[in-house]
Amino acid sequence: MRDRLSEAIKSHDVEFVDIRIEDKTNSWVNFRGPDLDTIGSARTVGGIVRALWKGGWGYATFNDIDDLPRRVKEACETAKLVGRDKTYFAPTEPVVDSIKASMVKDFRNVPLAEKKALMEEYNRIMLGYHEKIQTASVRYADTFKTVWYANSDGTYIEEEKPDVNIIVIATGRDGDIVQNGFEMGGGPEGYQTIENFHENARTAAKRAVELLSAPPVRGGTYSVITDHEMTGVFTHEAFGHLSESDFVYENPQMQEIMVLGKRFGSDGLNIVDNGALDGGLGTHKYDYEGVPTRKNYLIKDGVLVGRLHSRETAAKMNEQLTGNARAVHFQHPPLVRMTNTYIEGGSAKLEDMIKDIKLGVYALKEVGGQTAMEMFTFSAGYGYMIRDGQIAELVRDVVLTGNVFDTLKNIDMIGDDVGFTPNGPGGCGKGSQHPLRVGLGGPHIRIQNCVVGGQQ
Amino acid sequence: MIVQQIIEKAMQKAQGAQATLLTQETSSVDFENDRLKSAESSQRTQINVKVIVDGKVGNSSTTDPRDVDGVVNRALEAAEFGSPAHFELPDPQQLQEVKTFDPALLPLQKPEMIHLGQKMMDMIKAYNPEILAGAGVNKEIYRFEYANSKGASYSAEHTGFNIGAGGQLTRGTDILFAGHGVGQKKRQVDEEDIATRAIEYFRMAEKIVPVDSGEMPVIFTPGGLIALLLSLGLAVDGKNVYLGASPLRDKLGQQIADPRLSIVDDPFIEFGPNTSAFDNEGVARKVTPLIEKGVLKNFIYDLDTAGRVQTHPTGHGTTRQLTNLVIAPGETRYEDMLRGIENGLLVHEFLGLGQGNPINGEFSVNIFLGYKIEHGKVVGRVKDVMLAGNAFDAIKNIAAISQEREWISGPFAWFNGLFPYVQIGKLSVTAK
Ligand SMILES: [Zn+2]
Repeated sequence: MRDRLSEAIKSHDVEFVDIRIEDKTNSWVNFRGPDLDTIGSARTVGGIVRALWKGGWGYATFNDIDDLPRRVKEACETAKLVGRDKTYFAPTEPVVDSIKASMVKDFRNVPLAEKKALMEEYNRIMLGYHEKIQTASVRYADTFKTVWYANSDGTYIEEEKPDVNIIVIATGRDGDIVQNGFEMGGGPEGYQTIENFHENARTAAKRAVELLSAPPVRGGTYSVITDHEMTGVFTHEAFGHLSESDFVYENPQMQEIMVLGKRFGSDGLNIVDNGALDGGLGTHKYDYEGVPTRKNYLIKDGVLVGRLHSRETAAKMNEQLTGNARAVHFQHPPLVRMTNTYIEGGSAKLEDMIKDIKLGVYALKEVGGQTAMEMFTFSAGYGYMIRDGQIAELVRDVVLTGNVFDTLKNIDMIGDDVGFTPNGPGGCGKGSQHPLRVGLGGPHIRIQNCVVGGQQ
Repeated sequence: MIVQQIIEKAMQKAQGAQATLLTQETSSVDFENDRLKSAESSQRTQINVKVIVDGKVGNSSTTDPRDVDGVVNRALEAAEFGSPAHFELPDPQQLQEVKTFDPALLPLQKPEMIHLGQKMMDMIKAYNPEILAGAGVNKEIYRFEYANSKGASYSAEHTGFNIGAGGQLTRGTDILFAGHGVGQKKRQVDEEDIATRAIEYFRMAEKIVPVDSGEMPVIFTPGGLIALLLSLGLAVDGKNVYLGASPLRDKLGQQIADPRLSIVDDPFIEFGPNTSAFDNEGVARKVTPLIEKGVLKNFIYDLDTAGRVQTHPTGHGTTRQLTNLVIAPGETRYEDMLRGIENGLLVHEFLGLGQGNPINGEFSVNIFLGYKIEHGKVVGRVKDVMLAGNAFDAIKNIAAISQEREWISGPFAWFNGLFPYVQIGKLSVTAK
């Protein structure tokens, strides 16, 4: 492949060219209700050529990888149609590297029949848990992807990316009330990460049943404590996306808002994006522009100290490369994306955070979040009211929303217990690129004056 | 034909087989941050195979047309452990003639697409140079083929044209996004109208106005109607009905909404965004009324789910995806609707939609783009405001439906369709 790529690149007549080819095989087993829903496997091959000319990009994406020189030509011609200004593109040392997958138990060697039998066990556990469990679903997916990357700087990287993930969802019903409990798992380390999921299936079913009798949280402003998953989604959604420099680099007003050195939170607040984190879901050795990943502080001691870059945004803003150009797959060029984003641990104990809250909400287990620059909203799988310093009744429909600048300032306690969200089928979305694997995490944190949605 | 080769190969071991082939060429241009940023050409091939062996179903897919053996073998392997087939592959059917291919799109090249985008950008910049403007124009040509072992064999040529513009306006720490776009299968488009609508969303947002928490009348724009349609779409999905998850599962033939509400799924609209004559299971598409004068008329079934509940598939493919949704116009002029509101909201876009339990109808969303109505007029944009309610209660509590309708379509639309403005009596609003 190396020869094919360098041969194709040779023919370019622009300022920079890169090619990324992917070959992916995946299989899936889905149960929905008592029956197997679908089972199957697929193979996807394709690639993208990017060409850069006078600040403009030309892309060619394709499934047919036979005629790479033609794709390079196509991308170059397109770039010339677009480019009208000056090119900003940060240099980086060329690398040649090969990264092999290392799985404890390779899911490619597990027969589809065995995968099916195991998922059926999980499904049965949920369905048989309680009479109020109306239905359940199990979604298992594995993907083995090989990515070849080469560019006109001389970089050539071959990388194998395995991923296996599972989500089990139990649905309870009581009259018109329907509630879900779910658990996720998996990882790049292999099939063993989803093998002992029986207890998780029980937990999902138990939560669905319990939520049926839980009242919805009343809308209002509360002291809120978030668990590590909710802290992670908050950090990612509310702040992380603002750190992606493609939102900032050509936007003078955004540069003012996100000026380095500005205070965003209290002294104890440290926010990190770390693509080199050991075992993270968003970990890569290199990004999709051949830049090595690393640990980047975004906020240190409450002050904005950095942001995430592609080679283009780093050059334009005259800042260091961070290794954050990522893409979901070959049909898309890389964008500035997060990797593993988290708040670093502080010193507070969870009991101490709770004990002086008169009326508050403890929000657990992220269901998802969405952001529009400074506005964010994120949902918890479930929550508890906090009353007079004690954890009180279970509540459902916990949605936190707010303005990131206010909310970061309102974090007044940071726990000492950092944890990360497990693997699952979801991921981060940006533009049309979804889902991208990212790591989310952090400790328990306490947020004052946080808006919780819901009927009053 | 490759789909025939796949069927022949599969039928050596299977008792039923179907194959689909999609071949697509796309070109697009993209403006970001006031400038032309990139352009793209893309080529796609996608082959999907389904086989039935000893009464069990297996699926596989590939992007490589030379991988016929591989894709068939993987489908056969999957079928060994597959789910029982609750259906038979459909016999050849008579298809409706539909307009899905506009030759006028063939000669459209990137320079002209750049020109279209630039024109919309210029209009937005002329309204307010502070807006960081963006635009996108995308053209696609694709061919979709279907064949099965019952002798059904169809193919269709489609064109597609997506065009939109918008921008971002930052004032202090306030960031406003707004835009408008359309997606359709024909070339003819009014790009000035798209830019004008995008500008209108900015114009109404020039002032930020406070809101008090409480219950108030809310007008959903045609785009904003998604907040209510999302739950309805999930609840009419036959799979959710079969699984007992749909709150509408036993409401067929019953009044579930205001008698002025009628919604039909129409796959035959000329050059409509999702117009087509057959689905990816070889089922002929047809017009499906969902709600007629407030009465629930139909659920959406694919082959498998229809087989499980012993009814007929509705021609919405394996994913039971709605095609072109058409909501009947009302009697009220939009202007009069506004005029009748003393204190309320006009809502257009949301954050957090689909989180929580949308199938129950419950929603609790942040208003991403919405406006305050005071004394019959839009007075400005609202911020940090949550809207909560239940979609199924809301459609029973419709105060008015507008005469005016607008196409909501394009790659980012949750549902494509022709929608009016809908005013709901009262909804709960929480402001910070
Ligand atoms: Zn994200």
